[in-house]
Amino acid sequence: MATPSDGSIFRRRSLLKAAGLGAAGAAGLPFIAACSDIESGSGTSQTTDGFDFLPEYKEWPLPVEPDLVGEPPNHPSGFTTYPEPVPAIENLPSNSGTFEITMPMWGEAPSNDDPYFAAIAEASGGTRVDLRQADGMTYAETSVQWLNANEFGDGIMFFAWMIASHPNFQETVVNTFYDLTDIVKGDISERWPLLAGLPTASWGQSVWSTDPNDPETARVFAIPGSFSGGSNNAMFARTDLLEEKGQALPTSVEELLEVARAVNDDAGGRWAFGGTDYLTPAWFGLAGGDGWAYIDGKLVHNCERPEYTEWLEFRRTIWDEKLVHPDLPSGTLDGQALHKAGTIVFQLDGISWWQGFIDQSTAEGTGGTIAPLGALAAKGRKPLVHVNTSVDSWTFLNKDLSREQVEEFLDFCNFASAPFGTTEYELINYGIEGTHFTYGPDGVPVFNEVGTTVVQAPVNHKTISGHVQQFLTGAPDMVQARFEYNASLLEFAEVNIFEGMRVEGPADFKSAGQVLIDQQNDIAYGRADLSSIPEMVETWKANGGEAGREHYTAAYDKLHG
Amino acid sequence: MAALQTSAPPVPSGSGGRTIGKRKRKRTVAQRFRSDWPLLLMTLPAMAQLAVFFYWPSAWNIIAFMDYSPHRAFWENPLVGFAWFERLFNNPYFVPALLNTLKYSFANLLFLFPLSIVLALVMHSVVSTKVRSVFQSIVYLPYFFSWVLVVTVFVQTLGADGLVSNWILGFGGDRLTFTSNPDTFMFLAWLQWAWKDAGWGMIIFLAALASINPSLYEAAAVDGASRWRRLWHITLPGIRPVIVLLLILHIGGILTVGFEQYQLQRDAIGYQTTEVLDTFIYYRSVIGTEGASFGTAAGLFKGVIGLILILIANNVAHRLGEQGIYQKS
Repeated sequence: MATPSDGSIFRRRSLLKAAGLGAAGAAGLPFIAACSDIESGSGTSQTTDGFDFLPEYKEWPLPVEPDLVGEPPNHPSGFTTYPEPVPAIENLPSNSGTFEITMPMWGEAPSNDDPYFAAIAEASGGTRVDLRQADGMTYAETSVQWLNANEFGDGIMFFAWMIASHPNFQETVVNTFYDLTDIVKGDISERWPLLAGLPTASWGQSVWSTDPNDPETARVFAIPGSFSGGSNNAMFARTDLLEEKGQALPTSVEELLEVARAVNDDAGGRWAFGGTDYLTPAWFGLAGGDGWAYIDGKLVHNCERPEYTEWLEFRRTIWDEKLVHPDLPSGTLDGQALHKAGTIVFQLDGISWWQGFIDQSTAEGTGGTIAPLGALAAKGRKPLVHVNTSVDSWTFLNKDLSREQVEEFLDFCNFASAPFGTTEYELINYGIEGTHFTYGPDGVPVFNEVGTTVVQAPVNHKTISGHVQQFLTGAPDMVQARFEYNASLLEFAEVNIFEGMRVEGPADFKSAGQVLIDQQNDIAYGRADLSSIPEMVETWKANGGEAGREHYTAAYDKLHG
Repeated sequence: MAALQTSAPPVPSGSGGRTIGKRKRKRTVAQRFRSDWPLLLMTLPAMAQLAVFFYWPSAWNIIAFMDYSPHRAFWENPLVGFAWFERLFNNPYFVPALLNTLKYSFANLLFLFPLSIVLALVMHSVVSTKVRSVFQSIVYLPYFFSWVLVVTVFVQTLGADGLVSNWILGFGGDRLTFTSNPDTFMFLAWLQWAWKDAGWGMIIFLAALASINPSLYEAAAVDGASRWRRLWHITLPGIRPVIVLLLILHIGGILTVGFEQYQLQRDAIGYQTTEVLDTFIYYRSVIGTEGASFGTAAGLFKGVIGLILILIANNVAHRLGEQGIYQKS
């Protein structure tokens, strides 16, 4: 018999190898085949009120009442004067623990060695809370892995919008974080009067069930942040540039288009718009949150409504007419810099850009004035304004902490919950007088350079727990302007059809939503036609949309009976 | 002209590769261990590194067959067989992502791989070491730039509000739509690869070129060989093993075309053009909601296909008389 060549599978060694692999495969296949179905990612719904294990609400009397009285939460009250601060905590605890809390940071994180942090530790009763600040741009996504690896220090802070990035946040919460129920249940006003003064609704929104199908397993897993309410975003117009062209602030979508055409100069390098992806759906009456509206006895998603086509038609029109910065889709633009430079006339941004623009343009000497557009609507419809429907944030503690450690951290949270008008609030929000700020002529604290770098960051100890009440504060003119702006939006605030419930959609529904966003961009940037919308919607329905409707309808029925 | 020896000496025909009469008695494992233990000891750090950072993570590929949750004990995760693979293959966006991946991979192979060789040959022919080192630095420096920087530079230069557009506009022309046009994305991608990666490929080929004995060129020149003849008969055969090696490795990674370049330009170009397997996994598993098992199944699919392609390419290389990624015993 001829000797088999080297490459032949009939060589003795190769044959043995092949037999071994085959045997392993044969043994493994039944093992793999005898399996159950995939159950994860099916979505959850969590009731957030009606519990008997929450902290008992005890109003914490404010040291000074606001001079502008609104209708919280969507229209918060405000202070146009700066009161003489008074201490909020009478019996300071005597603690010595150190905690490391992970939280997001947009910009450069200051060193934990600054006197600001030592002063806070001393004022809180000796507890030192070191901040592990991570890039806010990627925080939501990367935090998934930190939690899986239990590498987030003693606790972690999440803004409410961040939890959507977690594949199954309910499962993560109940397996990773400390169950606070037994510590915060009932009357906690003696040790933590400020935490007892947080709204019951805020504590209710800090509840997750260990078994989503069993309401009896609901527990408190987080310390709630403030409940700001209202709208966090606005379309800001460069009013000085509008005046140059003899234009006034538009009051409807149609007017906005006319104004945009008047101020736009593509050849001259000035465009009406930067981004228009969020906020603008509200102008067409589309729902906020996960996009569901209850219409004619059933839940209808934004993409199934005729207003959706109108909205995309608007975005496509401004693109086709070159009213949008042509490099916007590249994602490389610095919108705020372009707004300051007058390259973009209408800038979609967080509400804090109102004050930010004034501060930056004054400091840089670039000048200009801005104002937010009011509630807009198209075709004479009643405007709609999307508002916050949950607490702004939560702080979760590591389940490995001891009960004593948790109680000490709650001492610190009690300190951090002190509202405007208290010495604790002043220290946390403005730092040390002389080191981080000085009082301005109107008595309002003004940051110096160190204060701007170390204290002014929007996220630090000031967001570890919520304030007993949330107010508009700061420069008197801005407080007045924002108060009036909120008042003008109030009647158009969207009603949350899932009030009292937190719904997490199934994985397929979320995936289909991501594809929908991509397809929306295709239409908005001229890569697909408006006529492709029906096909888009059918695809969405088939790949998770209908599963989502089923899940949200079940949640809606559970809530409304 | 003497032919350049680029592979192991041929085995005398008829011998069957065996050296009759010189066969040593086979040593036992214990004997071999006694004589080789210092060598084995030296490999220990590398083995440990491989075990911790490669084999142990690779073992976790098993979660592709589980409905895995990091919050359960490992053995409590239910086995779901090939359910994740089924979900992967049934996903309507998987096949387009796979086709895009193959498209960019083959384009990279066809248009970038030869460019690196050509650049290396051009560099090799430059006599002045000063000019060569300056040119070399300029060409391979972009390799160290991040994709964010590369994309930003392209937008700033060739974007609709970029340098060139504004220059054209000054002459009454129209703005370029080059950085947001899906129809020309392949060319844009090629430009970006060429700027960022071609220089790095060139360095590897230059290293191979440096190993060619200069006396071969001198001998060929004395024999009257022209520049092209020397290139054809000395240079290219000299770097052929390296070309084949890199080609095989490239083929093995054919389903991995990179991630950032496509993700960063997704909004500008559109998902249909820029969705490759890595972005598909990222949007559905890493920041999406499909979970770790789905991403692992997709990764395993890529790995298995890559392994098969490497084995096939290597086998073909061996059959063509090349060394491949290892010397055939």
